[in-house]
Amino acid sequence: MAVQISMGFVAALTFGFIFRVPADQRLRCGLVGALGWGVFTAMKGSWGEVGAVFLAATVVAVLSELLARWHHQPVIVFLTPGIIPLVPGSTAYLTMLAFVQQDYAEGVVLLVTTVFLAGAVAAGIIITSSIFRNLFRAKHVGR
Amino acid sequence: MARVEDTIERMGCAAGFTQVESYATPTGLFISLHDPAGRVYTRVKRIREGRNDIATIAAVNALSRAFSAKQMGVDEVRSALEGLQQDRAPDGLARQLIGGGGALAFAVMFGGGWREAVLAGMVGALVLMVVSRLEGRFPKVLQAAAGAMVASAVITGISRIWEFNANVTILGAVMVLAPGMVMTTAIRDLLGGELVSGLSRSAEALVIAVAIAVGVAVVLSLGGV
Repeated sequence: MAVQISMGFVAALTFGFIFRVPADQRLRCGLVGALGWGVFTAMKGSWGEVGAVFLAATVVAVLSELLARWHHQPVIVFLTPGIIPLVPGSTAYLTMLAFVQQDYAEGVVLLVTTVFLAGAVAAGIIITSSIFRNLFRAKHVGR
Repeated sequence: MARVEDTIERMGCAAGFTQVESYATPTGLFISLHDPAGRVYTRVKRIREGRNDIATIAAVNALSRAFSAKQMGVDEVRSALEGLQQDRAPDGLARQLIGGGGALAFAVMFGGGWREAVLAGMVGALVLMVVSRLEGRFPKVLQAAAGAMVASAVITGISRIWEFNANVTILGAVMVLAPGMVMTTAIRDLLGGELVSGLSRSAEALVIAVAIAVGVAVVLSLGGV
């Protein structure tokens, strides 16, 4: 568990470099990623993968919105690297690999999984961001 | 996309235009500005190539807020923007080496041990170096395919002489290319009602995923693993 959480941290931190996040915000990105991956790992057993991804993405989105308002940065500074461990890039690749290797049955299963996982991540983000936008409409900080 | 449109509308209103309309897609930008005298200025800006650069987004965001709050004049904003454009130096080696750490982390997340993690990290950094060489000169599809071919070729080569789980390692290493973020943004745009932007991003994600898979599959079939 501790190893998994620290890998969430490393992944978000290093993708902060890949996405060229401002240097002083990168550690915070790592923390967001660690929390998201920790929630996912903890809930995967009881909620199932899609549910756990949705919950973790919501946690990541809430934390990113709060950090963004706190540090006067656009939300995506924290959201993009922080969500990276949860995003189904690997299943997208495995889907296409299965199709390319003519394993169509496996490919379809993976394709549906990919779409559900990406949908869960996107739903978590969009629900959180619309709630925050309505709560803080007057201030117009962030974004 | 909504953020781009927000920024344009905010800056246009702050500059004294009565009506600002903008329409942003991942491949083009349309802006029209109505001034108080009733004249309309319209610009179309084609976007041919983008890159992930959150620092620039954050800087432009800060500029647009300062401009709307009348803390900065037009000339100051213009020179600041030009400064940002010049700052876009070519990638340092540090970004690619550190980016390899992402591949390392993913290899562990997918259940790899330390051997897989270390190898994936090194190959991931190599992939980023290859891709940054090709950036701007070849289409994104070819960049992704080339990166995936290099990754799987190196890893299959090493797996001949050293015992480890090549599949997990390749999976970790190609994660630095994988379109997970594009796909999530695509679905987010679709759910948010940004249909054009959502569909074009879905297409982008699909094309990149296919390119990576083809790159890996070609090497695997040649190598006969």
